[in-house]
Amino acid sequence: MLTTSPHLYIRRPSPTTAEFTVTTCPPLTLPLRLALFGILLLRIATVGLVLLAIYTQYVAATFTTATSPTTLPDLSLSLSLSPSDLASTLQALLSALLASPLGIWIAKASSHLPPYAFCGLSYLLLYISLVTRIHTTESVLVLRGLGIQTSSSSSSGAIQKTRFIPTAQIQDVFINEAFRGFEVRYYLVVVVEGEEDVVVVFPRLLPKRRIVEAVWRGIRGCLYEQRSEANGGYHFQGGNVWKDGGGGKWQQQRQRKVDGGEKGLG
Amino acid sequence: MPEHDGLMRVFWPADLPRSDLKGVVVGWRNSALDVFVVAILEAVEPRNVENALKLGTLFRNAPHPVSRIYELCGQSAIHVLGVSNTPESVEIDPSWVRVTTGASGRVPSVTCARALSIQIILFERPLPGRMQYISLNPIALALGDKQNSSKHYFSESGEEDEEKAERVNKERKRQLVEKLKQHSVIKRPPSSKEKALAKIVNQMNWAWELDNLLQKNVSRIGTRPKRSLSVSERVVESATTARDMVLVWIWDLLTVYVLPVIKKGFVLGLMSHRIAAEMLLLVLEWRARPRYAALKDISATAQQVEIRLQQFCYWPMQYVTLRLRKNDWESVTTSHPDYIRFYNSLWLVANDVIIGIALGSYIIDNAAWVAEEISQLLSTYTVDALQSSISWLMGWPAGLKLNGELAAFLGDLFLWVIDYWSSCIEALRPALPHIVWFIGFSSFAGASMPIALFSDLLSILTIHIYSFYLASARIYHWQLNILISLFHLFRGKKHNVLRNRIDSCDYDLDQLLVGTILFTLLFFLLPTVVVFYLNFAIARMAIISLKAIFDTLLSCLNHFPLFALMLRVKDPRRLPGGIRFELRDTQDFRLSVNDPSRQIPSTSVIYLKSIPLNFKAMFHQYFQMGHRIRKHYLSPRVVLCLLMGKFVPPLNRKNLYSLQYSMLPARRAGVMEMWDAVNSLPARKRRPAPVQVPILANGRNRYPNNYGGPRSRSYA
Repeated sequence: MLTTSPHLYIRRPSPTTAEFTVTTCPPLTLPLRLALFGILLLRIATVGLVLLAIYTQYVAATFTTATSPTTLPDLSLSLSLSPSDLASTLQALLSALLASPLGIWIAKASSHLPPYAFCGLSYLLLYISLVTRIHTTESVLVLRGLGIQTSSSSSSGAIQKTRFIPTAQIQDVFINEAFRGFEVRYYLVVVVEGEEDVVVVFPRLLPKRRIVEAVWRGIRGCLYEQRSEANGGYHFQGGNVWKDGGGGKWQQQRQRKVDGGEKGLG
Repeated sequence: MPEHDGLMRVFWPADLPRSDLKGVVVGWRNSALDVFVVAILEAVEPRNVENALKLGTLFRNAPHPVSRIYELCGQSAIHVLGVSNTPESVEIDPSWVRVTTGASGRVPSVTCARALSIQIILFERPLPGRMQYISLNPIALALGDKQNSSKHYFSESGEEDEEKAERVNKERKRQLVEKLKQHSVIKRPPSSKEKALAKIVNQMNWAWELDNLLQKNVSRIGTRPKRSLSVSERVVESATTARDMVLVWIWDLLTVYVLPVIKKGFVLGLMSHRIAAEMLLLVLEWRARPRYAALKDISATAQQVEIRLQQFCYWPMQYVTLRLRKNDWESVTTSHPDYIRFYNSLWLVANDVIIGIALGSYIIDNAAWVAEEISQLLSTYTVDALQSSISWLMGWPAGLKLNGELAAFLGDLFLWVIDYWSSCIEALRPALPHIVWFIGFSSFAGASMPIALFSDLLSILTIHIYSFYLASARIYHWQLNILISLFHLFRGKKHNVLRNRIDSCDYDLDQLLVGTILFTLLFFLLPTVVVFYLNFAIARMAIISLKAIFDTLLSCLNHFPLFALMLRVKDPRRLPGGIRFELRDTQDFRLSVNDPSRQIPSTSVIYLKSIPLNFKAMFHQYFQMGHRIRKHYLSPRVVLCLLMGKFVPPLNRKNLYSLQYSMLPARRAGVMEMWDAVNSLPARKRRPAPVQVPILANGRNRYPNNYGGPRSRSYA
C-alpha cells in the first residue's frame, strides 16, 4: 500500500528540457499522507524510546546506589532560556520520565535483556528508524546543449546524490541487458568519454524495459537536435541494444558488456 | 554554426538586483542564441551603451589589464544583449532579448524574436572576494604531478605483484573502452553550445567582478546633470585630504627606510635556512647504491625531518605564487587550490607545534616517570614475557608432546640471547631518562617528532625479537623445503628446476631408504620448530601493527585536511565539487508574468548550483592508503609467506607515504630557483595618493565606490 512498483513521471516544460523520474512512491493521496505522517511519528517515538532505554541503562550502570529522585521534578517549567536553567529543566524532565510508569517499564524490560542483546536491539531499532527509507526515487534530467544529470534521492530528500555529464563527454546512450540472479534486466547506460566505468541510470530501481525504453527515446529526442528524420530518429532495433552471451553477476556483466556487444553486432 | 531548433539559452545571475526601471542588458554572446547576462545597466540608452562598450569607457579605472578578462572568458567583447522592462512598442534588434523583471518575481521573463524555446539558467554568482568559485570538476586537494614518478617506482621495484596485477587489469579495461568507442553508432560533432560549457563556467566566476566594474562606470555614459559640491562637503573633503596626506607621509617613510631592511634580512635568513636544509636533505637522501635504502626509508624520524624540510623549502615558492595572485583579477581561480594547500600545511605545522609543546612539556616534567614506565614495559614484554613463553614451549605446551631435546636446544639458545640482551638493556637503563628528556625536547618541533622517535626507539629496542623471528623463520623454511623435496622422493618424483615442474625419477633402493628415514625424522621434529616459529612470528606481527599505529598517527598529524574541513563548514562554496542542475516548475513562473496577452515561448527554468566537495573526496588519500595497507598485509600471499616461513616484506615506505608526499612537488625547487623567485616578487604597489582624484566626466563621483548618489546601487 505504501509503495508501488517503479513508475515513471515526466516533466517537460519545453521540448528541449525534460526530467524523467522513476519512483516507488504512489501518488500522494490523503490516506497515504496520513500513513506517512504516522510512520514518521512512529520513527520519532522509537528513537525516543531507544534513547530513553539507553539512558536508563546508563543511570543504572553509574548510580548503582539507586538515588531515588528525591528532588520532586518541578514541571511548572519556568521557560527561562539561560543554559543552566535549561540544563536543570532537562534534568528534571529526564528524572520525571524515569520515574513515570513508562520509564519504569523500560528500565525493567531492558534490565532483563543481556547487555549484548540490548546493544544489538537498540542498534537495530535506531538503524531501522533513522536510516531505512520507504521510497526510492531516481531521476535523470536532460538539458539540450548542457548534458545529462542523474540523481537519486531518499524519500526525505535530505541526501541527494547527483552526477552531471556534459554533452561533450557523452559518447553514447544505450540500453543494455544483464543477468541478475535468475532474471534478465534491461538498463540504461551512459558511456562517458575517458572513463572506465559506464554510468548506469536508475541503478537502484532498475525499472522495467517499457520504462527504460521510454526514457531512452526521451533522452535521444531531447538531448540532440534532430538533423533530419532519416538518421536522427530511433534505431532501437538497429543493433544498439546489445545481447549478452553468458550469465553471471550484475557487476561482472557491467564490465563484460563490451564483449557482449561485440557478439551482438557480429 | 546555425542553430536549427531555435533553442535560446540564457544564463542569468539569480542574485542580480531586481527593479522595475528600464535598463540595458549586457553580457557575453557565446553564440547566436547562447547568451550570458553579466549586468543590467539602468537608465541609459542602448545606443550609448554600445558606443561605450566599443570605446572601452565602461572598463575605465580597471585595476588590472582588461585583456585578461577576454582571454579567460573566451570572448573578444562584451555585447549589448537586449533591453529590460522596455515597452513592446520600442523597436529593437531581432537578436536582442526583451526581459521583464519585477521586484516580486524571482525569475525574469525573457522573449526573443528569433527563439522558439528558451532555457533560463539561473545561477548564484560566486563572490571572488571570498574566493568562492564554480568548477566542473572537483577541486584537487593533492598536487597532481605525482602520477609518472609513482609509476616509475613501481616498475623499478620488481616485487610489487599486486601493482602488476592492477596494471594488467587497467590495460584490459582500457582495451574494453577502446572497443566500446568503435561501437558508438552515431558520432555527433559537439555543437558550439555544448563546447561552450567550460567557458561559461569561467564567465560565471567572472560575473560578480565584471558587474561591479560596469556598474561603477555606468555614470560615464551619456550626459548627466552636473552639480557642484556644497560648502559643507568642501570642508569635509579638505579635512579628509589633510588627514590622508599625513598618513601617506608616515607610510612612505616606513616603506622607504624601514621595510626594505627588514625584507632583506628576512630573505637572507630564508636563504641561509634553505641552504642548510639542502645539505641535510642531501644527507637524508643519500644512497650508497641506487637500489639501496636511503636513511629516510629506514627511519621514521629521518622521514619526518625530511618531510618538514621539504615543506619549508616549498613554502616560499607557494607564497610567491599566492602573492602573484594579488596582481591579478580576483576572479582568476587557478590558484585557489594552492591557497588551500598552503594554508592547510601551515595550519597543520602550527597545530603540530602546539600539540607538541603540550606533549613535550608533559614528557619533560615527567621524564623520570616516563623512563621508568618504558623500562618497565620493556622488561615485562620484551624480556620476561618472551622468557616465560620460551620456557613454556620447552615443557609440553598445551599438552603437545614436542621433541624434548630439540626444544631444549632451541629454547636454551634463545634464552641465552635474551639474557645477553637483558643485560644490554640494564646497561641502557640509566641513560633512558636522558633519552626521554631528549624526545620530550624534540617535541617542541612538533608532536610528530616524538612519535617518530618513539617509533624508531621501538624498532631499536625490539631488534632481538626481529632477529629471533628471522632465525626461526629461516630454520622453519629450510625444514619445510627439505620435507617437501623428501616427500617427492618418497613418491618417486623430483622437482625439475630447469622446467619448474615435477618429474618422475628412478631412485636407488638406498637412496629411497635413507630419504624416507630422514623424512620421518624431520617430520616428527617439525612441530617443535613450528611452535617456536609461531611464537616469534606473532611477536613480530604485534610490533608491526604497533608501528602501523604510529605511522597512522604521523600521517594524521602531517596531512589531515584540516583547513579544507574548516572551509567546508565555514563556506562550502569555496570547495566546489562540480555542478548540479535543478529543474523548476514553470507554473508559478507563468503566473508571475502578469500580462496574459503576451506570447511567451516555451520556457524551462533551471537552477545551476555548485555542489560542495564531499567528505569522501577529501579523505580520498586516506582511503587509498588504507586500501594499500590492507592489500599488502591481508593478501593471501602474505598468509602463504607466513605459513611457508618466508620473510614477510614490510610495506615499502615509499608506497605507504605516497600520502605524505601528495602535498609536495615531486622535485623540490633548487636554491637558485628560490632565490630568483623570492627576488622576483613585484614591488608593493604604492597606494594611490588620495589627492590625485581623477577628473571625471561629470564631476560628481569623486570616489568610484558607492558614495551615495542616486545612481550607485548597493549589493548585499
